[in-house]
Amino acid sequence: MSASMQVEITRIRDLAPGIREFSLSPAGEGSFPVYSGGSHIVLSLPLGARPHRNAYSLLGDPNERHTWRIAVRKQEDSRGGSRWLHEQAREGMKLDIAPPMNLFPLVRTGRRHILVAGGIGVTPILSQARELARIGADFEVHYAYRGPEFGVFSDELEALAPGRVHHYVQSRREQIEFRSLLSGRPLGTHFYICGPAGMVAASMEAGHTLGWPESHLHSEQFLAPAGGEAFDVKLAKSDKQFTVPSELSLLEAIEQQGVDAPYLCRGGACGQCELEVLEASGELLHHDLYLSAAERASGRKIMTCVSRLKGGCLTLNL
Amino acid sequence: MSTPATKSQPVYPELEWDRTGTHHILFVAAEDAALARRLYASPPAGTLTVIHVADPAAGETAWNKDLPPQALHLAAPSLGDGLKLLNDALYVAQMGTRIYLAGPEDAIWQASQMADGYGVGRDEVRHAQIGSKARPVFCVHCRTITRGVHTNLVACSGCDRTLFVRDHFSRRLGAYMGFQIDAEVPGDVPAAEVIYP
Ligand code: FES
Repeated sequence: MSASMQVEITRIRDLAPGIREFSLSPAGEGSFPVYSGGSHIVLSLPLGARPHRNAYSLLGDPNERHTWRIAVRKQEDSRGGSRWLHEQAREGMKLDIAPPMNLFPLVRTGRRHILVAGGIGVTPILSQARELARIGADFEVHYAYRGPEFGVFSDELEALAPGRVHHYVQSRREQIEFRSLLSGRPLGTHFYICGPAGMVAASMEAGHTLGWPESHLHSEQFLAPAGGEAFDVKLAKSDKQFTVPSELSLLEAIEQQGVDAPYLCRGGACGQCELEVLEASGELLHHDLYLSAAERASGRKIMTCVSRLKGGCLTLNL
Repeated sequence: MSTPATKSQPVYPELEWDRTGTHHILFVAAEDAALARRLYASPPAGTLTVIHVADPAAGETAWNKDLPPQALHLAAPSLGDGLKLLNDALYVAQMGTRIYLAGPEDAIWQASQMADGYGVGRDEVRHAQIGSKARPVFCVHCRTITRGVHTNLVACSGCDRTLFVRDHFSRRLGAYMGFQIDAEVPGDVPAAEVIYP
């Protein structure tokens, strides 16, 4: 896909139980390009024989050219990406990454910006907050996390938006009331949220009920590709036939065959990895956030980064 | 509605209420009794503010009679006054507001630019061309906008060059592009025709 670049892990910090921050610098000479708030990179992690690709939001200052930072939450049930970063990664190691891509950009013409972060979803919100602070925009941050020790970026946020960061600590039964958060906001306000699925859905519903148009409601949600049952795949154009094992995503299995398949976010959000289904003897399990209900029902499309087939064989136009 | 001659020429779909909105601002700057009756017959839920630009001498018009019960009608004797009222309404408006602009292109695109200034997205504003078809014309040479142009050729109000009025419309400027016609052979100017009644 996009030209890759090599980075070195220059610093690893444990921020809270199960949350680690990684600082990355260019492996050779030179510096990083500037990116925009809300961008992510895709890391290629050396898990066994094949590279395992995971997307992470950049959380530092978009103008910082020497160090990029990401934060990773260890997913116990993950098929390896986050676990590798928590258990195997060491300072000084080199990794390949795909350069920044932004599927969660700010609307700079907005008159006010409301940023909402749930847990580790704070990472893209941080770079957005930095960009808004730099351009002198009117913004506020709402940061929700499990317990006091998990509000790992509270201080950084406070420094960017003094007095305009609101905290919601789950263990203290504090919760964001989206209806009141979104009501009575001035025209031209934009809303951005990154967090768990339930929280994103609740906020979108509140926005729609209050008459917010789509163009002012922005969300980012990366799904960790869920494993599942193994199934068979035929690639019609590349003339390949193989089995997708339970611990790999369809996209990863295709890549392992040496076939170039499209992707951007690898988290079911962007729509880039869509492939045409020519035949499916079995039920398509759509896990993405992209396809419409009608497209799902048609059975003609699949997002390979997160979706699978239940039993049988899937023939793709690739 | 006619097919646009160029891609940049605005197309105006039939004006309908956007019922996903919770507040509505209707800015009207021309008479259209059929449209007024149709819109007022089935108003959307939520608040409705009608900003109505009309000559006070006109008396009762379709826009100020049979108003829906929740509507607030604000009369403006001139376009300038109407735009001021619109500015005040936008200043206090909340998210959930939908904006409907109906009138000659000159009026609705000035109003539209005002809404843009409040950070309003394209899915929050609807435009309808009613009344005069006169065009606002932007002189590409001196950058002055000449308003109320009915003819295909017009003398620029800024530099007095004779401009040919193109179908190319700029949303940002809210005007059609005008180019000097006799640039090659000065003084060689054909007769103007009324084509935007
Ligand atoms: S790569 Fe973005 S949806 Fe699959």
